Amino acid sequence: MSGSVNLEGIVKRHGAVTVLHGIDLSIAPGEFFALLGPSGSGKTTTLRILAGLEPHDGGRVMMDGVDVTQREAGERDVAMVFQSYALYPHMSVYENIAFPLRMIGTRESEIDASVREAAARVRIDQLLARRPGQLSGGQQQRCALARAIVRKPRLFLLDEPLSNLDAKLRVETRVELRKLQRSLGVTTVYVTHDQEEAMTMADRVAVFLEGRIAQVGTPHEIFERPASASVAAFIGNPPMNLLPGELRGGELLVAQTQLALARDCGSDGAVTVGLRPGALSLADRGIPGRVYLVEDLGETSIVDVLVDGQLVKVRTPQRPRLQEGEAVQLAFVESALHLFERDSGLRRSP
Amino acid sequence: MAVLAVAAVVLAGWAFPVLWALLTSFKSERDVLAYPPKLVFVPTLANYAEVLFGSSTLLPNLWSSFVVASLATLLTMLIAVPAAYALARLEFPAKRGTGFYILATQMLPPVGLIIPYYLVLQRLSALDTYSGLVAIYLTFSLPFAIWLMVSYFEDIPREMEEAALIDRAGRLRALWYVILPQAKGGMAVTTIFVFLNAWNEFLFAVVIGGNRVRTVTVAMFNFISVEQTLWAKLAAGAVLAMAPVVVLGLLAQRHIVKGLTVGALKGGGRR
Repeated sequence: MSGSVNLEGIVKRHGAVTVLHGIDLSIAPGEFFALLGPSGSGKTTTLRILAGLEPHDGGRVMMDGVDVTQREAGERDVAMVFQSYALYPHMSVYENIAFPLRMIGTRESEIDASVREAAARVRIDQLLARRPGQLSGGQQQRCALARAIVRKPRLFLLDEPLSNLDAKLRVETRVELRKLQRSLGVTTVYVTHDQEEAMTMADRVAVFLEGRIAQVGTPHEIFERPASASVAAFIGNPPMNLLPGELRGGELLVAQTQLALARDCGSDGAVTVGLRPGALSLADRGIPGRVYLVEDLGETSIVDVLVDGQLVKVRTPQRPRLQEGEAVQLAFVESALHLFERDSGLRRSP
Repeated sequence: MAVLAVAAVVLAGWAFPVLWALLTSFKSERDVLAYPPKLVFVPTLANYAEVLFGSSTLLPNLWSSFVVASLATLLTMLIAVPAAYALARLEFPAKRGTGFYILATQMLPPVGLIIPYYLVLQRLSALDTYSGLVAIYLTFSLPFAIWLMVSYFEDIPREMEEAALIDRAGRLRALWYVILPQAKGGMAVTTIFVFLNAWNEFLFAVVIGGNRVRTVTVAMFNFISVEQTLWAKLAAGAVLAMAPVVVLGLLAQRHIVKGLTVGALKGGGRR
């Protein structure tokens, strides 16, 4: 199967500012790979470099083992869906989808069959005569998808394709997009700032932070074993609570509470303690704090607890009967504890 | 209501000279000079008969104007569209310098250039020829058209041609199939402005043209002489000269209004 991608030490500068500090990635054929990061982290730039739309200042882009760094966008056999969809407003949906085929000189009869097949796959076959301006946001998005899949490229590049859809449609389309990608089996690189999208759709995720890849792994790995405190602070909704702590002789000192640790957590020193909101519970003994606010989410609630001057979020199953300002204690099981070096932010094994 | 009243006053101010010329063109020369001006008079078509088919017919001059303006417009658009696209989208050495140079040529008062242009064309034996006059018109219509077109191109989202480039269109086909169709309104507006400027031009036409190439603006001037001014015939000529302009304006009204507002609707990828 074709469609492997390797980025080797990609560097990109805008004048004096370095946007990408040596990106290394390797994406397997058929993989659904998400580039996840906050805005300005370099994920879209990386995608554009992959597409050949943006020159870069160092490193190589490899596709199927061939160096394509010097190749123009049109010579890389990739298709892209833009955040704005970039549908051609003066052409009908049919002509939009047919455009990539016309550009490579496909026979008219073949074009017709391919356009109808692609349109049927994304269920817009009844809209072929319309102009993009006469379509809803969701239909435009499908039209852009159809234009991308019609040529059967070796690589799909999707730049935040769902960000212009409303919340409900986004969740539906997420599932469809994933199904579509599976059935086509084409390697897909998907840029998003929405971790839920990345976590639910991708086989693997690269977390971009400030022009560097902070972690690459399956959604499960990234959630369960964040490689650094910054990844931990970015992933999860709400993200992981991070508290300053100290390791001393097998004991963890956090928020003026001393906790004995069963496992070996390495040498003594300053650490950052990470605890997911779901890993914490309200108990009779543990880290002391005061209730600041209760956020009712329906199925669950988030209790904001002020611990040692810092807000800690706790997820509870039902809405707890708590007063603001009430004293509570937070408990957790040790296996849910994440420890990061205070200085470098890197994860302490395990 | 107040807005309408203001609009009516402004419109009356704008329309008065045109209406007065129209009125004058149907008067006899004697009625024109009557004081106080006559609003009620016996209308005559004699002036039109004279400027169309009489000894001082303007038909050849209208043709000259048409040839000069059309050629100037055609050449301008052929050069300005790709030039503006390059300035709007491509990276090339001295791009900023080129852009500024084009703008700077617009800043010179045209009168200052008449003598050098005259001397150059004289050397080239191009005085009083279509090619000479068209070449001079290009010197000011090109920068104007390029700058206007640059803003239209810049209004088209970059992703449009990026999408086309990824779909293997290449730069030229992306321009032809994707960008130009979306710049149609802007091109129409630019074409009309360039044509009107050339059609209405007088200064260069009178100095550089004159005998063989005498445009309608210059020919009309002949109704004004030392002994007398034939106002009614001048008015009839002016109405004839205005007619194509007005027709063009009415035909393209929709395009013009649309084209002029394009810049206001930023990032309108789905116009």
